[in-house]
Amino acid sequence: MTMAQTELKAPRPETLFQRNMKLFASSKLSMFFLCVTIGFVVMAVAAPLIAPHDPNEADLFRRLMPPAWMEGGDWAYVLGCDGLGRDILSRIIYGSRISIFIGASVIIVATTIGVLAGLAAGFLRGWVDVVISRLVDILLGFPYLIFAIALIAMTGPGLQNIVLALAYKEWVIPCRVVRGETLATTGVEYVEAAQAMGASKSNIMLREILPNILSPVLVVSTVRMANVIILEASLSFLGLGVQPPTASWGAMVADGRSFMLQEWWLSTFPGLAILLLVLSINVVSQGLRDAFDPKFHD
Amino acid sequence: MRDTVLQISDLKTCFDTRDGMVTAVDGVSLSLNRGECLGVVGESGSGKSVTFASVMGLIKKPGFIANGSITFEKRELVGLDPTAYRKLRGKEIAMTMQDALTALNPAYTVSNQIIEVLLAHDDTLTGSRKAKRKQAREQALEMLKLVGIPSPESRFDDYPHQFSGGMRQRVMIAIALACKPRLLIADEPTTALDVTIQAQVLELIAGIREKLGMSVILITHDLGVVAEYCDNVVVMYAGQIVERGPTHAVIANPQHPYTQGLLNSIPRLSDLARRIEPIKGTVPELVNLPAQCRFMDRCTRARPACKTHIAMQDCGPEREVRCLFPGTPGGGDV
Amino acid sequence: MSLGKFIERLLQLIPVLLGVSVIVFVMMLFTPGDPVDIMLGDQHVTEEMEQALRRDMGLDLPPHERFFKFLGNAMTGDFGLSYYHRQPVAEVIASRLPATIELSLAALIFALLVSIPLGVLAAVRKNSFLDRLATVTSLFGVSLPGFWFGILLILFFAVNMRWLPVSGRAGFESEVAPITHLLLIDSLLRGRIDAFWDALKHLILPTITLGLPMASILMRVTRASMLDVLNRDYITFAEAKGLSRTRILVKHALKNALIPTVTVAAIETGSLLGGNMVVETVFGWPGLGRLVVESIFVRNYPLIQAAVLFYAVTYVMLNFFADILYTMLNPRVKL
Repeated sequence: MTMAQTELKAPRPETLFQRNMKLFASSKLSMFFLCVTIGFVVMAVAAPLIAPHDPNEADLFRRLMPPAWMEGGDWAYVLGCDGLGRDILSRIIYGSRISIFIGASVIIVATTIGVLAGLAAGFLRGWVDVVISRLVDILLGFPYLIFAIALIAMTGPGLQNIVLALAYKEWVIPCRVVRGETLATTGVEYVEAAQAMGASKSNIMLREILPNILSPVLVVSTVRMANVIILEASLSFLGLGVQPPTASWGAMVADGRSFMLQEWWLSTFPGLAILLLVLSINVVSQGLRDAFDPKFHD
Repeated sequence: MRDTVLQISDLKTCFDTRDGMVTAVDGVSLSLNRGECLGVVGESGSGKSVTFASVMGLIKKPGFIANGSITFEKRELVGLDPTAYRKLRGKEIAMTMQDALTALNPAYTVSNQIIEVLLAHDDTLTGSRKAKRKQAREQALEMLKLVGIPSPESRFDDYPHQFSGGMRQRVMIAIALACKPRLLIADEPTTALDVTIQAQVLELIAGIREKLGMSVILITHDLGVVAEYCDNVVVMYAGQIVERGPTHAVIANPQHPYTQGLLNSIPRLSDLARRIEPIKGTVPELVNLPAQCRFMDRCTRARPACKTHIAMQDCGPEREVRCLFPGTPGGGDV
Repeated sequence: MSLGKFIERLLQLIPVLLGVSVIVFVMMLFTPGDPVDIMLGDQHVTEEMEQALRRDMGLDLPPHERFFKFLGNAMTGDFGLSYYHRQPVAEVIASRLPATIELSLAALIFALLVSIPLGVLAAVRKNSFLDRLATVTSLFGVSLPGFWFGILLILFFAVNMRWLPVSGRAGFESEVAPITHLLLIDSLLRGRIDAFWDALKHLILPTITLGLPMASILMRVTRASMLDVLNRDYITFAEAKGLSRTRILVKHALKNALIPTVTVAAIETGSLLGGNMVVETVFGWPGLGRLVVESIFVRNYPLIQAAVLFYAVTYVMLNFFADILYTMLNPRVKL
């Protein structure tokens, strides 16, 4: 590493990100909901260890068994059983795998593509920018759910197809953010300085600009993850998600609909699970946004 | 006894913030005579803007006036009920702000913004709403002519952003003066302007002041402006007045080391710039101030005796200074 | 804004709309299964008849020619036949559209009526109990899955309290001769108060379900922009002018604060279209969204294709109007 490069590193505001994260960690509310979110992730990963029963084990003797605290309930099946006598709690625990897997993989795929495309558009400019921006404009022309539904109608439901159907449009959102931020940062002195020192384009992009767009990307990807989880649940609810018998929250709510007049627990608990997970991620995201927003610093 | 327009006595304005109680204005007293132009000088955070926001009744939560009195033409303003205050503002006391670009509402035409202040205050307008509006429109045009907007008829219905910086400032002055107030508070009227236009705007204010016989308070950080346009001057530092007197006397013979610093910084920036470095994080520093001279840490004359409450003391005809060791420059200084 | 600029903006839509059509076309090009097979279903036909049908539908043409044919047909509103309904696709969509428009408009109005006053109040009384309540509610509003919330609403208001109907659009639909095809308006125009009440009762729950996420987003936008505006110099200056509090809030603050709200509202109206599918399914609302969902299960591809294109064009136009609205409200921005 040359002298020039070492000197350039000093004014780079990497510490700002760390300071922001400290600010975020100082909020008790955000930390609480971060823990809830992590709890869901642990639940998804360790589902076979945690779930009291096999989520697909049907038994018509237990059909529509109410939650444990109600008459006819059984503490072995705390949240009761569904129309096929399957344990609702176990299905909710296994269902978290689908929500979290799809939420995480869509966001990872979309953020990776979006960040790279946004960097390329904002930094290289010229025809690269024109092509990417046009594509973004066109994809933005589709309402989200309709686009995903049309793709699934075409490719058929299934885990992989759902991830692809959502990621096809999702990358546009981080891409726009990153492009905007990159355009704003390229004029900044330390980047110009690095350019003057003759650093290569890819080097500048990865070493100088990328660290600065970390904060907005983190905020956007958390908000979007909450949204993707709702979208996946909506697809499952419409019957276009992961196919039965695999447990997914949206499909559980849909299955419970026909029983809702009497056996309300079928739809209520999986819906609560969606609400809690999405709410937690949204609170975390709000906390990140507040921490990163310079208006809140003083 | 001369005709006093504004009298501020022992004004204390505080802000209840997360970091504690900030006393932005601490015991300010001053008075202003009819037709007088008073310069108020100080850095940002010295409390000069907050003092006159208090006069205008524009201190909002978490801020409040903790103590003191403000009388305008023998009427007490502290604790005045909001409706009465509203009738006073814009009619009898008017204010202009530093930057007309941000002070004018971008979503309304200039004509709208002048007419509304006339409609709110001018009792001479008569007839139906429409008739009133028509009269207000004519008066507004008059006002724009007065402040020197060329061909005001054609610019009347333009939006603020369509004017140049100097013209915008004139528009703002026209709005402030529309109801012929008896007191104009001009907060940094020239800071946002080019040097060439600064003089024009100040001449404009001076001219109208004479014409309407109004009193003017000129808030600025530029002693040069004060020297040229003000009869008297008040120097503020950290929420307190540190020196006051007739402009020529104060400038010829400054007593407070801070005033001297300000004056010295005008012609020879390179030499003395160090002494007027902006105070870092001024406002939080106004929390729980110890009883000592507030300029002590930056003062070359500081002595152990300064570690006490310092009161204003006379130092010449109509002059006061808040310093135990006042004097002209040179004594022990660079 | 000048007419020239407006037309220039309008022309800029063409590449976007063209790109959208290409994507819709390509989607269908890759749809598994042979369209003729799907269309014929179980009917037995001769080889020649099948070939003729294939030629009729233009399936024997190379892809680019098929695209131009598709585009030409789409512009004249010809999307082929929906064999499932035994009707032209355009007619099927047109028959379902009024219900969707009515629901979307109701949700939009609901969202605006709730979010703007609440956002303004929350900003004016920052950190008050009301402000905190509004913030928490909006957080729930964006986190609630619509399909589940709709079910809970039905469970409480329709099943338990019996205040509102469980599902559907109206019991009087066939009795009120259509004028605008929007039941609420038609029933009023025809002087059928009973039908109006009935339509309104059917509309309430789906409207709340569809409008809640939008109301939450708009509330936040309004609150944030109002807070921003209230700190501006021109508000202080307006106060210094001695204007009344109401005039300052309504004329000086609100007009500026609503610029982002209106822009976001126009864009979010597009996502109402997506939400329609879920909400219409939950409430058995006979609109376009439910039609699309149903069509997927019967593999009614021409209809899906037409509906997706329709949604996309509407969405693009909404964004266009958001832009125009933004410039009209904000004299500083020149197109």
